[in-house]
Amino acid sequence: MDKYTNKSIHLIGNAHLDPIWLWRWQEGCSEVMQTFRSALDRLNEYDDFVFTCSSASYYRWVEEIDPDMFNEIRTRVKQGRWVPVNGWWVQPDCNIPSGESFARQALYSQLYYHEKFGRICETGYNVDSFGHNWNLPQLLTKGGMRTYVMMRPDTSENPDMPQDLFWWDGPDGTRMLTYRIQRSYARTGTHAIDEEVKYLDGRADEKNHGMMLFYGVGNHGGGPTRGDIEHIISKMDGGFQQLKFSSPDDYFDEMCAARFDIPAWSEDLQHHASGCYSATSMVKQLNRKAENWLQAAEKWNTLAVKRDGLAAATEELAKAWKDVCFNQFHDILCGCSIMEAYEDVRDSMGHAMTIAARAENNALIKLAGKVDTWVDGVSDPVALVRHGRNHQDFPRPVIVFNPLSFPVNVPVRASQPSQRVTSHDGTEAAFQNVRSSRSNDTHLDTLFMAKVPAMGYATYWLEFREWDDFENEAVSDVKADGLTIENEHMRVVFDEQAGGIKSLIGKADGYDYAQGKILAVPTVIDDHKTDTWAHKIFKFHDIKGAMKLESIELIESGPARALVRTKHVFNESCLIQEFILASGQKTLRVKCKAIWQERFTLLKMPFALGGGDPVSTYEIPGAYIKRPCDGDEEPAQAWADLTVTAADGTRRGLSLLNDSKYSYDCPVTGDGETTLRITLLRNVIFADHYSFRPPANFNFTDEGLQRFEYGIRVHTGEAEDSGVMYDAAMFNGRPVALAEGYHKGSEPQSGSFLTVTKPNILVTAFKLCEDGSGDTIIRAYECEGKNTPRVGFVCNLIEAGFWADFGKHEVKTFRIDKDGFVKETDFLEGVVEE
Amino acid sequence: MKEPYVLTARPCRFCGIYGAGDPQIPAELYSGQSEAPDLSGFPLPLPSKKSDYTCSAVTDDGVMWYGASTGLTRYDPAADRGDDLIMYFSADRDLPDNNVRALLAKDGGLWALTETGAAFIEMKMIGAEEKALMLLEETLKYVDRHGMVSQKHLEIPGDVASAVKYGHSDNDGGFTAEFCIGEMYRYAVYKREKGTDHPDTLAAKKVAARALEACLLLFHISGRGDGFLARSYLCPGEPVPDDGLFFRKEGGKATCIETRQSKRVGIAGKVIDASAPVPDRLAKLYRDAGYSDDGIVYKGDTSSDETTLHIMNMIVSHDIIGEDDPELDELIKISLRGLMNHILDHGYELHDCTGKPTTWAKWSGQYFVSEVGYVDACLNAAEILMYLKAAMHITGEQGRWREEYDKLIAMGYADLTEKHFDRQHQAGLSLCVEPVEDIMFGDHALATKAYFGLCMLEKDEGLLKKYRNGYKSWRTTIRREYNPGYDLPFKLACPDEEIDMEMMATWLYRTNVSRLASGVSFMGRHDTPVQKQRAGKLESSWMPPSDERFISKYDRDPVEYRNVDSGGMTCVESCYVYTHAYWMGRYYGFFN
Repeated sequence: MDKYTNKSIHLIGNAHLDPIWLWRWQEGCSEVMQTFRSALDRLNEYDDFVFTCSSASYYRWVEEIDPDMFNEIRTRVKQGRWVPVNGWWVQPDCNIPSGESFARQALYSQLYYHEKFGRICETGYNVDSFGHNWNLPQLLTKGGMRTYVMMRPDTSENPDMPQDLFWWDGPDGTRMLTYRIQRSYARTGTHAIDEEVKYLDGRADEKNHGMMLFYGVGNHGGGPTRGDIEHIISKMDGGFQQLKFSSPDDYFDEMCAARFDIPAWSEDLQHHASGCYSATSMVKQLNRKAENWLQAAEKWNTLAVKRDGLAAATEELAKAWKDVCFNQFHDILCGCSIMEAYEDVRDSMGHAMTIAARAENNALIKLAGKVDTWVDGVSDPVALVRHGRNHQDFPRPVIVFNPLSFPVNVPVRASQPSQRVTSHDGTEAAFQNVRSSRSNDTHLDTLFMAKVPAMGYATYWLEFREWDDFENEAVSDVKADGLTIENEHMRVVFDEQAGGIKSLIGKADGYDYAQGKILAVPTVIDDHKTDTWAHKIFKFHDIKGAMKLESIELIESGPARALVRTKHVFNESCLIQEFILASGQKTLRVKCKAIWQERFTLLKMPFALGGGDPVSTYEIPGAYIKRPCDGDEEPAQAWADLTVTAADGTRRGLSLLNDSKYSYDCPVTGDGETTLRITLLRNVIFADHYSFRPPANFNFTDEGLQRFEYGIRVHTGEAEDSGVMYDAAMFNGRPVALAEGYHKGSEPQSGSFLTVTKPNILVTAFKLCEDGSGDTIIRAYECEGKNTPRVGFVCNLIEAGFWADFGKHEVKTFRIDKDGFVKETDFLEGVVEE
Repeated sequence: MKEPYVLTARPCRFCGIYGAGDPQIPAELYSGQSEAPDLSGFPLPLPSKKSDYTCSAVTDDGVMWYGASTGLTRYDPAADRGDDLIMYFSADRDLPDNNVRALLAKDGGLWALTETGAAFIEMKMIGAEEKALMLLEETLKYVDRHGMVSQKHLEIPGDVASAVKYGHSDNDGGFTAEFCIGEMYRYAVYKREKGTDHPDTLAAKKVAARALEACLLLFHISGRGDGFLARSYLCPGEPVPDDGLFFRKEGGKATCIETRQSKRVGIAGKVIDASAPVPDRLAKLYRDAGYSDDGIVYKGDTSSDETTLHIMNMIVSHDIIGEDDPELDELIKISLRGLMNHILDHGYELHDCTGKPTTWAKWSGQYFVSEVGYVDACLNAAEILMYLKAAMHITGEQGRWREEYDKLIAMGYADLTEKHFDRQHQAGLSLCVEPVEDIMFGDHALATKAYFGLCMLEKDEGLLKKYRNGYKSWRTTIRREYNPGYDLPFKLACPDEEIDMEMMATWLYRTNVSRLASGVSFMGRHDTPVQKQRAGKLESSWMPPSDERFISKYDRDPVEYRNVDSGGMTCVESCYVYTHAYWMGRYYGFFN
C-alpha cells in the first residue's frame, strides 16, 4: 500500500436518535438522556472507543436537565473521543425547509457547539433523511461544514447515484466530499458487524479507499453495546488491522490526505419516501408559515431597533427559530410520526409564530409611528373615522409594509368598506369592497391594489363619505363576463361542466395554454397500496376519479379583482376553490378549502400542456432544479414549472405556485402532452410503517378541514427567465396592512429601507448579529441561476452601501458594523471566526 | 456567432499629480468654498463613508464630484452604463493622497486639493482601439528590452520616463509571447480591414515580427543546440539578479554564474557548451544594439509556463504571419522541432545543464504521481498534448508527434485533462484551504492556452469532449475574472457556453490608458466587503473596474484585497493584458 492509499475501515460508534417518531418528544428526550449516559459509560470502559452524535438540540436537553453529564460530555469532546457532527439543530428533512431555514439550522447549532465545546462541526451528517436537495453542498459549506454523510436513497431506490465516497456538486458549483452509507447506520450484534466488515473490506479493495462502518443500536437511541465493542476489539486483536475506532471527521481527514479517483454527481440525491413530500399537510403548512413570518418579523424588528431604538427581539426570535428547526426533524416534517406528536408540533410552532407575531407587530407599530399621517382638522381617534360614525370628512390612513426586497403591486385587505382609495401621492388606487368574514356591521372590507417599495412601506388613504357619491376613478385592467375573467396578463375561461379552466390565454401574444384541454380538474389518486412514507413507490398515477362539479359562479367583478368560485365533490368530500385574478397580477390565485374524507388518497390538481421537449423546473432551497418529466413524485418548494415547445415553435410554460405544498409530479400524459400536477393532499394513516396494520380506529394525515392556496401562471421562454420566483415570493411573503392613526411624524408616507440594484438577488435575512454586537446581518441569494456581478446594496439606516458579485444560485451573507463597513461572512455571521 | 459587440469611446481618467505649492495649481482651489455634499439619500453604494465627504463640485458636463478624507468620488447620474455611474479616485495612482480638502471644476476637468498636493483630473473619451494603441506606445517606449516586454522598474515613483534600461523578469519569455499574440492579431485585423500594404498594417507587422523574434531568440540563445528554451537573457552591463540560474556566454562556452540557486544546485562555475549558432535574424535583436554573443547572460530553469505561452504564440504567429514571412515561419518550425525533440528525448521534461529536469518543466507520468505533480498533472497533461498538436499543426508533420500524442492518449493523459477540479478540490481539503487559496492565478492563463489550443486543433469528437470538459473544470475560478483574454477563447472552444459581453466591455472600457504602477487605495473602501477565506486569504466580494484596483498581469487574483500593484508601486508594466484581449476579440469578430 503506498502512502496515498488508505483502505481502513473506520468504525463509527453512534446511536441514531429520533426525538419524535413513533413516540412524542418527551420520550425522545428521555431516549437522548439514556443514550448519552450509556455512551459515556462505554467511553469510560473502553479506552479506544469513540462516540459520534449529531443534533445540537439533544445536547441542549442534556445541558438543561443534567449539567454534570453535560460536563462529562464536554471533557470527552475535548479529548476527541466524543465527536459532535452535523452543525444543525436536528437531522432535518433535507427537501422541505427553505434555504433560510438551513442557514438557521447552522447558525444556532454551530454557535452553540462553539460556545459549549469550543469547536464547530465540520462534517454534515444526515444519515436517515429522506433525500437531499441539490443545494445542500452550498448550504452545508456556508454553515461551516466541509464533508457530508448520508444514506438515503439506497441503491435499490437510486442505482445511478455514486456509492461510498463521491464528489457532490451543487448548482452554484460548490463541491462537497460525500459519503453514502451503503446499507445501515446502525449495525449491532456480532453477526451483523462481521458481515458488514467483510462487505466493506471488499468495497475498500474495489474502490481503493477507506470506508466507514456505522454501528450501535439506533432509531430509538441506544448506541454501541458492550458486546459490539468487545467483539470489535476481539476482531482487531485477531488481526483485522484495517479496523479502527474512529469518527466521520477522522475518516474524511484520512481520505483527504489520500489520493483517490472518485465519481462526481451533479444532481440532487433522490428518491426515498416520496409520500413524505405531501403527507400531513398541517405540519408542512405550519413550517412554511413560520419560516415566512419569522423572516418578516426579524426584518421589521431590526429596522425598528436601528431606526427607533426598539428593543431587539433577537433572543426571542432565536428561540422561535429553534422551535422551527426542531420541527424540521425528518420524521416530523415528513409527516410520518404518530398523530399525537403533531399536537406537540402544532403547539411549539404556535409558540414560534406567536413570537414572530409579537415582534412584527411591535416593530410595525413603532415604524408606523414615525410616518407623518397628520391631517389638519382631525382631532378624534381614527377608530371613529374607520367606523363611519364621525369625521367622515377625513380619509383614514392604512400603512402597508412589504417585507420583500423588491417592490410589489399587490392586493391588500383593510377592514371596513371604502368609497375611494388613494396612495400617498394622491394617485387613485383600484379597489373594491368585498365580503368580510364578519357577520355584523357592514359585512364589507376594502380590497385595494397597493404599490409598496422594496422592504418598505406605503401609506394609502381610504375614504368613506356617506353623503358623497364617489366614482371609483382608478383605471383597471380587470374584467369579468360570465365565467370569463381577465386582466392585462391573462384571460381565463372556466368550463361549466367540469369546473376547470378551458381557456388560459397569455395576453402577451394571445396564446391559449389550455389548447382544448380542461385544466385544473381536481383528481383523486388511489394510494392504498403503500404506507405513510410510500416506501418503494415513486409514482402516484392510479386515478380513482375526477371530482364532480357541484357549482360554479362568478362571485366578484370589480376594479381590483374578479373571483370565480367552484365547488367540487367526491363521495363525502368537497373542495371549494376561489379563482382570484387581481389587477396587474401575473398569477391567478386559487384559494382552497377542502373537507377531506377520502382515505388512502392523494388529491392532485393537473395542468396539461401540449408541446415537445418538456422540461420541468422546481424550486429547491435557495435555488431551482430541472428534472426529467418522467412522472416521478418530486419534492419542491413554492413553485414548479413545466415548459414545452408549443406547436407555434415558441417555448411556453405554466407554473404552479403555493403557500404550503411541497409535492408535484410531471408525467407525459399523451402524444405531445405533458401534465404538471401539484399534490394538494395526501390522506394516509399516520406513522404507518410498511403497512402492517392490525385493526384500529386509524387517524389519517389529511382528514377533515384543509385550507391552502395555489397559483397559476403562464409565460414564454424558460422558467428561470419568467419571473416565477418573484411571484412565488409574493405568494409567501405577503404585505401587512396596518390601520394607522393620525399623527405627525418625521418620515414620509412611503419609503424603502433597503435597495438592491439587481432584481434576481433576493434578501432572506435582515437581522442583528447573534453576538450582541449590534452589527447587522444581510443575507441574499441569486434566484434566476445567472452569474450576476456588481449588485449594489444600500441601506441608509445602517449607513451601509456596498457591492457584491453573485455567482449563479449563490447565497451570500454580509455583516455590517456600526460604521457601515462590511465583511462577507457565512451563516455563522463571523462569530466563530476569531 | 452573435453580432459583434460594438465598443464605443468611453470616459477614461487622466490624472496629473502636483506637489504642494506647485504654481500650476490654481489659486482659487485654495480659496474657494467647497460645500460638503448632502448624500443622505444617495441611491448607490459610495466608496467612502458618507460622513467622510467634505467637499463637492460639478464639472461642466453635469458630473458631480465628492471629495472625502478617504478619496474622491465621481458621480455621473446621466451615465448610460451602470458601471460608469460611480467612479473612485484614490492615491497613489490618481491622487497625491486620499485626504481631499477642496474641489474646483476648471478647464473642463477637476482640480482636487489634498493634504500633500493636488491632482488635475480629466475624463477623456477614448475608443477601445485608441486605448490599445496608447498602451502599445507606452510599452514600446518604456517597457521594451531587446524586444522583450514584461515590466520596468522606475527610478522615480510615478514617473514613467524614469524607467531603467535594464531589468528582467522570470517570465520575460512568457509575457512577451502573450504580447506577441496580441500584436499578431492586430496585424491580422489591419491586414483584413485596411489591406496588406497599408502603413498601419505594415507597422503592426513590424511590431509583431519583432516580438516573435524576441520569443524565438530564447529558443536559441543558450547555444546548447539541444532545443533548450531559456527564460530570458541579459546583455553586458545589465545587472544579474540573485534569482535563479544564469549562464554567461563566452567563446562558445557558458559559465554558470554564482547565485544562491546555482550554489544550492551545485553548478556555480560550471562550464557548458554554448557553441550552437544563434540564427542571424534573431541575434540582430542584440547585435544591432552593439552586443556580440560573448557576454550574453541567459537564464535557465525554464518552466512549463514559459513553454506553454511560447507554443501558443507559435500557433497564432504561424497561422497569421507564416505565409507573409516564410523565413520567420521556418524559424518557428525549427525552434519548435528543437524544443519538442528535447522534451520527448528527455522523457517529457525540459532538462537543464545538470542533466536533470528544471524545477517546473515536467510533463511525465512519474511527475504526475509525485507530491507536487499530482495537482499539476491535469494542466500539464493538457499542455504536453497541446504542444504535440501544435507541432503537427505548425510543421505539417505527423511522425513522432503523432506517435507520442497517441501514446500519451493511451496512457490516459486526455482523461487527466478533465480532472483539474477534482484534484484542486482534494488538495484544498487536505491543506484545509479554500480551493481559491491554493491557486496560482497564472495557471488561468496557462490553462486557457493549453485547453484553447487543444480544442481548436483537435478534431476527434471523443477527445474534444474531454478537452472541453477539462476546460470547463477551470471556470469556477476563471469566470470570476470576467477577463476577455480568458472568456473569448473559452467561448471559441466551447460555443454552447455563455459569456458576459457586458462585463467584458466594462473590463476593456475601464482599463487605464497607462500601465504605470503606483498602487490604489482599495483596502478599507466603504463599498467593498472583505471576505476572509479559510486559511486567511482576504478577497473582496466584488471585482471593481480595472481602473480602481491594482494592476497585474495574467497572474494574480483580481479580487484579492490589496492596494499594491503586482509589480510593486514603482514600475511600468507591459500592455499585453489589454492588447492581447482586445485584438483577439477584434480578430475573432467578438468586438466591433
